Amino acid sequence: MASVRIREAKEGDCGDMLRLIRELAEFENLSDQVKISEEALRADGFGENPFYHCLVAEILPASGELLGPCVVGYGIYYFIYSTWKGRTIYLEDIYVMPEYRGQGIGSKIIKKVAEVALDKGCSQFRLAVLDWNQRAMDLYKALGACDLTEAEGWHFFRFEGEAMRKLAGK
Amino acid sequence: MHRNPSPTSQAAATPPSRPLPPPRSPRLFRIQACRPFKGSCCRLRGCETLVLDSADPDGFRADPRGQGGRLWRYAEADSALRADGFGENPFYHCLVAEILPASGELLGPCVVGYGIYYFIYSTWKGRTIYLEDIYVMPEYRGQGIGSKIIKKVAEVALDKGCSQFRLAVLDWNQRAMDLYKALGACDLTEAEGWHFFRFEGEAMRKLAGK
Repeated sequence: MASVRIREAKEGDCGDMLRLIRELAEFENLSDQVKISEEALRADGFGENPFYHCLVAEILPASGELLGPCVVGYGIYYFIYSTWKGRTIYLEDIYVMPEYRGQGIGSKIIKKVAEVALDKGCSQFRLAVLDWNQRAMDLYKALGACDLTEAEGWHFFRFEGEAMRKLAGK
Repeated sequence: MHRNPSPTSQAAATPPSRPLPPPRSPRLFRIQACRPFKGSCCRLRGCETLVLDSADPDGFRADPRGQGGRLWRYAEADSALRADGFGENPFYHCLVAEILPASGELLGPCVVGYGIYYFIYSTWKGRTIYLEDIYVMPEYRGQGIGSKIIKKVAEVALDKGCSQFRLAVLDWNQRAMDLYKALGACDLTEAEGWHFFRFEGEAMRKLAGK
């Protein structure tokens, strides 16, 4: 029977990562916002000072099967800073292909991120989720997370494009 | 995250040792990178005081090491902010807004606002800046200092190859929300339904199996 392992992504995984990033954007009905390339993922994640870290979930073949391991999910995180609580991890993306859900792979990725966070001296980890994604919200709450938008009223804002250039006077 | 405490929550943390110039007289101010000076590190110390002031009426902060809920005191905040922001691989960058003395005045520049940001990553758009904190002392608001800090962050973002910058704000903080919208930001929680979640403390240790 096939088993799952969660491991650190390597540069060679960038093709699979981009495939899954696009699937996640599609799932969130926001695929027109994906502008990133495989080259950028490679340069930004595997250079001297990476901007992000990635975990991949691989299905390992059962003995006797000819196919190699296959990447079916991922989590992308990076280190941030809370002026209230110090070092923190932010889980930017977490995604498992639909046909592999319900097997605890998402939970395994989250647990691995929590482990990394504590090993690196982080006292919390944050993430964001769309309000219609009830299954994800239920999972995070079941694992012990707090919805700060609901509990404290936090709203996410973003500057980009023309607005940002105008602000910067460029 | 932007914080704008109610008028009653002014800090009891250790204040800077020199009195600030009166807020209503016209003053020059500047926004620049926060760096520790030799010795007393007055510019960083000013920033740290504001970080404490902005969070809690008693001037304390939650202990970043999560040790029994004990709150940060000024000295602990000082050493953590210093180590985390000014080592070889800083976790954050800080801009301070300083009121500059008028000619003839004996007082030096004084820190009256700050912005703390760091670099993050959007898997859709690449490098991004996140503005974690922006704060201006109440008596110095309404002079465009907050806007100047935001514009400086946008400038840094573009110089560093970032295509966007993000921040968070509390839903009752109408003044801040109006400012960000006036400057061109989009409220993604309203527009797209994003919610902020957090794991910490016991829940996090349990998840990690520790």
